[in-house]
This record gives sequence, structure tokens and C-alpha cells, in this order.
Amino acid sequence: MSEETFLTDDFVGQLMSVGEVDLLVGIATHNHAKTIGNLVRTIEECLVQSFPRERIVIVNADGGSRDDTQGILLRAAPPESKNARGLTSLRTMHRISTRYANAPSPGLALRTILASAELLRTKACAIVSPENSQPACGWVTSLLRPAFQDHFDFVAPLYTRNKFDGLLARNLLYPMSRAVFGQRIRELHSGEFGFSGRLASHCLSQTVWHEEVVRAWPEYWMAISAVSGGFRCCQSYLGVKGRTETTPDLVAAIRQTVGTLFWCLEKQSDFWMDRADSEIVPTFGPDHELAPTTSRVNRKKLLEMFRDGISGLEQILNSVLHAGTFAEIKRLAALNDGFDYPDDLWARTLYEFAASYHHGVLNHDHLIQALVPLYRGRIYSFLMQHQESSPEEMETGTEHLCMEMERQKPYLMELWKSNSEVKP
Amino acid sequence: MRETMLRALTQAYDNLLHMIGEFLPRFIVMVAIIIVGWLVALILKRITRSILRLTNLDRLGEEAGASGVLRKAALPSLTELVSRAVFWLVWLGFILIGISVLEISGMQEQISRIFGLLPQFLVALLILFIGLVAANFFSRAALLGAVNSGYPSPQVFSGAVRFVIWILAISMALEQIGLARETAIAAFSIVFGAVMLGLAIAFGLGGRDLARLTLEKYFGEKKKEKEDEPMPL
Repeated sequence: MSEETFLTDDFVGQLMSVGEVDLLVGIATHNHAKTIGNLVRTIEECLVQSFPRERIVIVNADGGSRDDTQGILLRAAPPESKNARGLTSLRTMHRISTRYANAPSPGLALRTILASAELLRTKACAIVSPENSQPACGWVTSLLRPAFQDHFDFVAPLYTRNKFDGLLARNLLYPMSRAVFGQRIRELHSGEFGFSGRLASHCLSQTVWHEEVVRAWPEYWMAISAVSGGFRCCQSYLGVKGRTETTPDLVAAIRQTVGTLFWCLEKQSDFWMDRADSEIVPTFGPDHELAPTTSRVNRKKLLEMFRDGISGLEQILNSVLHAGTFAEIKRLAALNDGFDYPDDLWARTLYEFAASYHHGVLNHDHLIQALVPLYRGRIYSFLMQHQESSPEEMETGTEHLCMEMERQKPYLMELWKSNSEVKP
Repeated sequence: MRETMLRALTQAYDNLLHMIGEFLPRFIVMVAIIIVGWLVALILKRITRSILRLTNLDRLGEEAGASGVLRKAALPSLTELVSRAVFWLVWLGFILIGISVLEISGMQEQISRIFGLLPQFLVALLILFIGLVAANFFSRAALLGAVNSGYPSPQVFSGAVRFVIWILAISMALEQIGLARETAIAAFSIVFGAVMLGLAIAFGLGGRDLARLTLEKYFGEKKKEKEDEPMPL
């Protein structure tokens, strides 16, 4: 009950009136009036069909919406009382909502949901993104069922994506997380996931909630906590990952995701330091899907920005990368034809950045930003290589990168342990 | 005549002995103070170094970019620099106290003035150092922002930020020690105004294309850009 300090009295009252539940669905919102009504109805219809006998609550943590998101969520019409098979839900389905702050804070929103899960003694929980107004009914079930019925502690989602979407995850987050933390979970960084009450209590008891990265992007930290804490992890296929209305800014996405990944490396170094290889985790549904549709990408601009970045940030990159690595990258930038940022060079680049983060060679945020031009070069190379590739060929390419990163992990360990703070 | 000369010589010799008798103990005291000061300064230097190593000042300096600036200027690490500064300041204080023991006419006043200026001088040094670190940090942030946004000539942005912060720090430091106060303020105003005017002219005339691109980026249609950007996650 230590959470009473940040939960409002009104919200604690709402939780007490709900009592114990089996399942909890958490939705963190901020000005999502357009989508929240449909989302809540879809979730409830789905839950009535899939879990008619369980006690369920939908918890909304709102970050100061000014468009009546909370009101719409609470007033949305409940689903038909009978499900598709003609069964009636035996339980009352609760909806509760709290305004945790007047400005959105993902960390505080997740903490509020975890605290609710602990106070309600929930067995399984799912976090659903409010961006997606009409998720397939199976999404929530797919996230809850492995935790509720199969007693998994962390359920990572899997999506079908457009061919060239999710490139940051495919080229950096997944390969590096897999190589370092040793579990083959593709979407550790997703904002939608399932978890057990046990994991919720474990995460809630950690003293990291004041950390900037946890406040800004707590999902990745929670996933890594599950992996490093010895909790049972699995993946569950959800469906097609839709495109959001606005394309996220690449620099902001890298600062957030890679910043959190490096921070987790730092905090969990005792866990990953002496681990080798990676384990396959149980997967419900297909383990990867790629839609044949492709997004239009301005490749020329990517290459230009890579070259400009190499020349503009030469001094900074010199202090982060080893001389040999940087010389190879500069050679690439000078090439007119046959540009290829190979897997081994990319793995070395990422590991040298991670080690420089650990040794405090630069301000952490500046260091992450210095990676952006190199990432653009890698993506250009990837797009050129897979212009005509089938989904299977792309998958083979990703697997090759993952294996290369696992092969080079001792190099990361060596850099990590070295005492030199200044690159030769 | 002979007696007079002998008396004068005796008198001079007595005076010399008297002066040596008066000066020598003071000189010995001065040397003792300087030696004790050296020992005290050395101890304080070692204590400061140990404390700073415990607080990881060098690592903070690396992150803020201060250590890079010091390396470029062939200076030692931040911990070493602060420790040495403590040593010299303490020892200089003891040396001045030692010299004051000699009671040389006019020297007391000068020593008092030096002691009076010392705090202002230290504050000025601190301002300069903070300015140096801030200039390095913000110019690097500007460089990274400009490169990652695809602006042409990112080094110009970065250099301008560094230059403005340096000028600001130098003029503040000069004002602190009261050195050519009016000149420093006037020089800062002129340089700052000139830089701003230069940037405005350069942006308006020389960088018309850049201005157009920037305005288009913020106010133009964004549809095309969206199509060109793959979803990172």
C-alpha cells in the first residue's frame, strides 16, 4: 500500500469500490477523445467473449486531457450483454479513471496502472495503446491469455508490419537487446504488452521511477526488468500494426529508445556481462510477419544526411569510435557506388557507442544524437540491399545481423571493462 | 681625521649589524612561513584531489565537455587542475603573509590590495571556466541539432553559439575584476550587435534558400515529407 502517496484519494476510493479482479486493462491517455470511445467498446466486447467468468477492470490513467477523454471513456456505451456464443458475462465490468498529472508522463501513467494492479491483486494485465481506435478483438486477449492461463510474467507483442516500417527495431533495438540480454524477444520496446501481477509488484518496488528514462519511456525498462529478473517471458502475435497519423521524429525516437537501451545496459550490466548466446522464447502465433506493401522512402536524402553527419560530427565521432571503425565509416561515406554498411561494422559501431556511454566520453544525450547520422547510413544500406527482397530474405538478413551482434558481444564486454575513458 | 673615519665606519658597521639583526629574524620567520605554507598547501592539494576523485569530477567533466576543452589546451584533468589551483592559492597566500613580515615600506599596502583583489579574481576565473564549459556544451548541442535536422553549414550555427557565449563570459569576467569596465561593456555590445546583424544579413541575403527551406519546413505542406519518412518503430 506504499502507492497511496502518489494515488489520489478519489482514485484509491474507486479502486476500493472495485475490489479484487482477475484481469486489468490499462490505458494511458492524453487528449484521445477521438479514439477512446471505440477503443473501450472494442476491448469490452472482446473481454466479454474471451473471459466471461473473470472479474475485469479497465484502468485509465490520464495525463491532463482537455478534450474530455476521461468523460468519454467512462460514458462509452457498454457492450451487448451476450457474446457471440450467446453467453452472458457473469461479472460486472468496471471502468475507472484518474488524472495522475496535468501533463502527460508515461512513467507516472504506468506506475499508476501497476499500483492499481497490485492493490486489486490482479492476476494478469495488459497495456493497450489509445492511438489505435479499432484494434482487432484478439489483441487484448492475445496479451492477457498467456499471462492469465499460461502463467507467463511478460507478454511481448508481435505485429505484421509494412516491409520498411520498424527499421529502428529491426536494425538496432531487437538485434542489440537480443545479443546483450540473451532473449529473442522482437518487441521489447512496444507500448502494448501483457504482464502478471507478480511482475507488476516487482517493478513497483524498484527505486528507479524518478529516473528520466523511466519517466519518459518505462515500457522498455519494464521489459528488461522482466528478462533480467528471471521472469517467464513470451511473445504473442497481435495483428497488423497500423501507421499512426504522424510519423514520429527519427531523432526523438532514437534519443528515447536507444537512450533507454543504453541506460538499461548500464543498470543491468551484472546480469548480461557474462551471458553468451540467446534463448528462443515461447511464441503464440507466427513469430514474425511482413506485409508486402512498402512505404516510400527518400533514399537520396538518407545518404546525403549520412555524409553530412560524418563530416560535420567528425570531432565528436572521433572521440566515441575507435580509429579503425571511424576510418571504415569515412571510407563508406566517400563511396559513390556500391555503398554497403556491413553487419560487422554496424555491430562494432553500436558496441563502441554503448561503451562510450558507459565510460561517459560525452554527455549521454549528445552521444545518442551523434548516432543518428550513422543510423541513417545503415538504413540507406539496408534499403538498397532489400529493395527487391522478399519478407523471408529480409528476415534472413535480420537474423544475420543478430548473429553478428552475438558473435561480437565479447568485444562489447572488453570495451566495457576497459578502464580507459579516452579513446586512443 | 682618522678617528672621525673610524667612528663613521664603526657607526655604519653598527647600523649594518643592527639592520641585519632586525632583518634576519624576520627573514627566517618569512622562510619558515613559506615552508609551512608549502606543506599546508601540499596537504590541502592531496585532500582536494582525493575528494574530487571520490565525487567523480573527471567523469562529470567528460560528460559536460570540460575535459575535452582542457585536453585541447594541453591542460591536465579537471581534478588535477582544481587540486593544483588550491595548492597555488594557499601557498601564494602564505608567501604574501611571509613577505608582509619583512615590513618593507609600501609593501604592506600592495599586499593588502592583492588580497582584496583575490576573491574577485577567483570569481572571474570561475566565470571564465563556466563560460568555457557552457560554450562547449551548447555549441555541441547546436551542431548535433543542425546536422540531424539537415541544415546546411551546421558548423556556422555551432561556431556562432560558441562565440557568443565566449564573448559573454569574457566580458562578465572583465567586469568582475573591474578591468576596463566601460570598454568591456561597450566591446561586448558592439561585438554582440555585430554578430546578430551579421547573422540577420547572412540569413536574409546569403541564405535565402535556407530561409525558404526553414519556413517551408515549419509552415509548408507536410504530406510529402511524411511519405518520405519510414516509421522507425
